[in-house]
Amino acid sequence: MKAIFDEAELATMKFGVGQPVPRTEDPTLLTGQGRYTDDLNRDGQAYGVFVRSSIAHGVLNGIDLDEARAMPGVLAIYTGADLAGYGPIRCGVPLKNFDGSEMRNPMRPAFPTDKVRFVGDPIAMVVAETPDQARDAAEVVVADIDPLPAVTDARLGAADGAPLLYNETPNNVVLDYHFGDKQAVDKAFASAAHVTKLGIVNNRVIVSAMEPRSAIAEYDPADQKWTIRVGSQGAFGLRNLLAKDILQVAPEKVRVLTGNVGGSFGMKAFVYPEYPALFHAARELGRPVKWTSDRSESFLADQAGRDHEVTAELALDAEGRFLGLRITGYGNMGAYIGQVSPMMSTLNIVKNVTSVYKVPAMEVTTKCVFTNSSPVSAYRGAGRPEGNYYMERLVETAAREMGIDRVELRRRNHIQPSEIPYDTVSGLTYDSGEFTAVLDKALAFADWDGFEARKADSQARGKLRGRGIGDYLEVTAPPQNEMGGIRFEDDGTVTIITGTLDYGQGHWAPFAQVLHSKLGVPFEKVRLLQGDSDELIAGGGTGGSKSIMASGAAIVEASDKVIEAGKKIAGHLLEAAVADIEFQRGRFSIVGTDRSIGVMEIAEKLRGGVDLPDDVPQTLDVKHVHEGGPSAFPNGCHVAEVEIDPDTGVVEVVRYHMVNDFGTVVNPLLVEGQAHGGIVQGIGQALMERCVYDEDGQVLTGSYMDYAVPRAADAPFFAFGTHSVPATTNPLGAKGCGEAGCAGSLPSVMNAVVDALAEYGVRHVDMPATPEKVWRIIQDARN
Amino acid sequence: MAKLHISTKINGEPTEFLCDPNDSMLDVLRGPLALTGSKEGCGSGDCGACSVMLDGRLVCSCLMLAAEAEGHEIETIEGMAEGEKLHPLQQKFLEMAALQCGICTPGVLVASKALLEKNQNPTETEVRYWLAGNLCRCTGYDKIVRAVLDTAAEMREATR
Repeated sequence: MKAIFDEAELATMKFGVGQPVPRTEDPTLLTGQGRYTDDLNRDGQAYGVFVRSSIAHGVLNGIDLDEARAMPGVLAIYTGADLAGYGPIRCGVPLKNFDGSEMRNPMRPAFPTDKVRFVGDPIAMVVAETPDQARDAAEVVVADIDPLPAVTDARLGAADGAPLLYNETPNNVVLDYHFGDKQAVDKAFASAAHVTKLGIVNNRVIVSAMEPRSAIAEYDPADQKWTIRVGSQGAFGLRNLLAKDILQVAPEKVRVLTGNVGGSFGMKAFVYPEYPALFHAARELGRPVKWTSDRSESFLADQAGRDHEVTAELALDAEGRFLGLRITGYGNMGAYIGQVSPMMSTLNIVKNVTSVYKVPAMEVTTKCVFTNSSPVSAYRGAGRPEGNYYMERLVETAAREMGIDRVELRRRNHIQPSEIPYDTVSGLTYDSGEFTAVLDKALAFADWDGFEARKADSQARGKLRGRGIGDYLEVTAPPQNEMGGIRFEDDGTVTIITGTLDYGQGHWAPFAQVLHSKLGVPFEKVRLLQGDSDELIAGGGTGGSKSIMASGAAIVEASDKVIEAGKKIAGHLLEAAVADIEFQRGRFSIVGTDRSIGVMEIAEKLRGGVDLPDDVPQTLDVKHVHEGGPSAFPNGCHVAEVEIDPDTGVVEVVRYHMVNDFGTVVNPLLVEGQAHGGIVQGIGQALMERCVYDEDGQVLTGSYMDYAVPRAADAPFFAFGTHSVPATTNPLGAKGCGEAGCAGSLPSVMNAVVDALAEYGVRHVDMPATPEKVWRIIQDARN
Repeated sequence: MAKLHISTKINGEPTEFLCDPNDSMLDVLRGPLALTGSKEGCGSGDCGACSVMLDGRLVCSCLMLAAEAEGHEIETIEGMAEGEKLHPLQQKFLEMAALQCGICTPGVLVASKALLEKNQNPTETEVRYWLAGNLCRCTGYDKIVRAVLDTAAEMREATR
């Protein structure tokens, strides 16, 4: 691949690619001037509040609205019947059943009219002059529901005789998924010297973005145009889904505007049933209608994460070489199927579970099951951390069972640099990576060999101590077609227009670093426009750790187009042949002379009005679409140490080191933060978080007092190391870093917990390793 | 119901507002006063996104009735910087990128400032426990805690 930057030049640039540049949006956010959806208000807006089912499963006989309609300030109340004209939410993942038949894809209407299917299922929306009036009226809406037995667990949901959510979906099985060569896997297991088998629960988590969901819908009858201000992960994709599936109008008749987003982690990416209801109310009432979820509502009705239960099996030969891998289990879909719901427990396990290892044969079998729980969708990694977790728990357990050192077992099975490009059994091709070097570097960084002294110190204080490795590799989402727009503005700034959208990642500075390094545009002049679908001609959005690959490439390619146009314009302005114009460090110059003109000067001249001949471009502005490319393979090794108080069962992560290969790092300051955040979300799932339903399908963990999101005192400081091997499949060489923290921390922390408890004969502990669970394990072992 | 007339001081400015008896301080800050830097993350005092100072004491404005502001002084995130000049904590958060989505950040900053006003030399553990009332889902707290410790060290150095 040809170098896209002048390396010598880059080394001199304060804001160049690779520099730890602070975030451009932070002065705004740090002073409380950020504009999140709930901070916005539209003239004349009314307020919507949703009436939600308090019963997990039941026949909806009717809804009595009379008393609510008479309440002060109430403008309208809408139920499912009113919203019948809007299209349903449907799954967009093209997966098929084992037998080749299509997956069941029951459509989700805005509000159900036949049955309620989970606690939190919206059945009506009250619109009133004030939020309090809407809330008061929503409280007196009476739903006539005949309760039915409920099931919230996927395994139980797929069992014969389980309550059926949809008559046309036998055993609640949405998708009976299978990947792999069964015969080859059976043969591998038959010939194995050792088989390690684990039952693993991948606990359901509540996403808990600190900004609850919020939206303001409007309708302009003159233009017949729908506008929604809403948090998302990409305005272009959400606009298209709303236009095509829900409103069934031409895309240009819908505008999605996304300002600051207070976290999403996958959760705000797609269409929710609240949106058609808000649109409908806005059109009927002729007013903007705003809704902001309260926190209880978000615990009930936001899409949740994870929730798989699997049996994981690894076949090894006598030397510990992996022969085959089998993952068999269930993925909980919740009560409705979302746009990507089945992907996490199927395809993304297939892609990610073999990680950094040579696995010649693999089989993944998953039943995706409807249950009376909130719909499940993507959450930080979306199958990537889980796949890595399954594998690393197997490797660790196999090492213990076979008496092979856990580090040696990993080394023995690593894909070696000499074997790259490496074709995996899942059909991917790894383009780069030095997995053993990363492991060795991480172990040295973490002082792996000094563990015994630290353990002795812990013991002296009455604590158990364990260490764990999380050797991971993630398959990022393949970058989709992505817009790279560059616009030279009248005020002398330069706007980058992207279809990716950051909800906390901080895209502005790193994207500006790429443009600055490539085109020589002053860093401080660069603006980022990302959240207005009217400005976008393409956009795969953000998710799957792909934004820097997608938008980075789009900006590089768009810059090349600016340079191409600039050469022609410069040739005219400098009165030289275009062939004699070269571009370097932001300037177009005539080869061999000192005559030159800067890109910003050309922009200024164009603004001032220059007469250019017809065969010369009249503008430097570019609207480019980068064509999607292959996935990248960020990888690394995390090493965690935990201390456990045997008297209380409290697990504390006391030491955490990591070495990551994110390829080319555009901004190390931000990349390190992405790792930290992902790691602590992983620590949360591993030690604290679990969404619990009772047997009637009621959510027992419906507030921050019942559901434990990690707090500042629950995490340690992290030691961050890097071993970069640039990707060869995108111009920047970047690999993506957004979800890697979770993939490293789930296995490293849980392997450390099991290691600490090994002296009690413990072989496996399911997440979350809460104090109660750990205390009971220790008590049971002692008795 | 008659509105209540409240006289208070917000970020040093004498301020009057009308509110309903059941309005929270956060409702009034975000609504009539248009100070939207304080956020509602839970409305139950569990997340700290609405943190403000009431007469020098750290409180959750979602748990405080607006009427209780009568005769008292309130400081919010909007009063933290002096004009264009960021507070040392804001400056350190900027340099270290100790925020991501930024929605919890105003509350974290107000709480951190309250800590440093009480304790100029906090330990890591003290910072972590003090900030345990402020939920952040993005950062993993590493940079937040480091930023508070580093700011404390620099502020001590500056006053030496």
